[in-house]
Amino acid sequence: MILLVIATWIGLSLAEKRAERHGISKENLNNLIFYGLMAFVIGGRISFILQNLSAFAKSPLGAISINPDIFDPFGAVTVAVIVALIYGQRRGLLLWPTLDALTPFFAALSIGIGLSHLAAGTSFGKEADIAWGINLWNATRHPTQIYETLASLLIFCLLWFKKHDPRPGILFLSYAALKATSQLFIHAFRGDSRLMLDGIRQEQVVAWAALALIFILFEYQLKE
Amino acid sequence: MYTRITMQKNQRIIFYILLLIVGASWIVLSKNTAEATADGVSAPQAGFTAPDFTLKTPTGETFTLSELRGQAVLVNLWATWCPPCRAEMPAIEKVYQEYKDQGFIVLALNMTYQDDPFKVVPFIQEYNLTFPILLEETGDVASLYQLRSLPSSYFINRAGIIQEVVIGGPMSEALLRTRIEQILQ
Repeated sequence: MILLVIATWIGLSLAEKRAERHGISKENLNNLIFYGLMAFVIGGRISFILQNLSAFAKSPLGAISINPDIFDPFGAVTVAVIVALIYGQRRGLLLWPTLDALTPFFAALSIGIGLSHLAAGTSFGKEADIAWGINLWNATRHPTQIYETLASLLIFCLLWFKKHDPRPGILFLSYAALKATSQLFIHAFRGDSRLMLDGIRQEQVVAWAALALIFILFEYQLKE
Repeated sequence: MYTRITMQKNQRIIFYILLLIVGASWIVLSKNTAEATADGVSAPQAGFTAPDFTLKTPTGETFTLSELRGQAVLVNLWATWCPPCRAEMPAIEKVYQEYKDQGFIVLALNMTYQDDPFKVVPFIQEYNLTFPILLEETGDVASLYQLRSLPSSYFINRAGIIQEVVIGGPMSEALLRTRIEQILQ
């Protein structure tokens, strides 16, 4: 959790530095992230409660208990996106330049997520007899959390030091394409995959589909 | 100029298609069966088989976790000196009464090796606990479960797989109900 908070703070600071390059004021960017994060936290809890209404109906005070486990990450992201879209529309922020301005925030957060997976031992790798394997959960495994962190760091550096591209959306789509590609590659070494169709990893299929969609959006933006 | 842009676009599309073909091939080549999941491996983490143990209650009754397959189990690691452990006990007792007829059982492992053993029975009486309280006198099970913090709770489904881990507490009744309903399914 601490790693995520630090990554959020660093990401926000870095995004602020370059926001005006994309025509977004620092104030708007700060507010957008602030409201998005608030919506993430509150939305995650509300979504969890709505999905487990019968349990909370019997003890409603549980809804305001301090358990961080009362949280639905998918609901949280959905609510955060909706709130960010509403805020952006009210302030007249254009979608693609705003996403470009947010890209350093997303890229720094990805590094923090990788490190938090490493610290918690989640998103672990499959068993492997390799010299660089890590001993985790009673086996030597691929250090997929380290792969994930290094890939995120590499993506961040590539985008941060890349020459500024004035075309709206290209920076964000570059980040999304690199992230999807890294997920597609790294998930092959994960030990907690959800399998479908004779051993195909669902997460890789999602990353592949996302990549195809990103390419279409790339072409659309380049044409614009 | 037009030709250059068209060429660039064509090159990009070829690049996209090639990358998608490579990606699809990688998905098929890297498809996996046994190692891609935590099936059959024992570890104190969601998705793994719960590490097995055999412990006794203060009255000498023995419980082995693996013998409870077919039931949904909450393994709760606690100590009498731990305030959040004390705080969540009434909620655990309440949900135990509510769900025990559906095949739910609580194994509350007192960390006796770092607790005062003479305080355990008075604690059970004070909170009117009816689920099994087991005495962990050596620290072996705590080590097996890589105990980092008290209380620690492991929600284990009927197949013996840990479905959820809650480190710290106290857990609210509502959270307990949501987790128990998941492992009862």
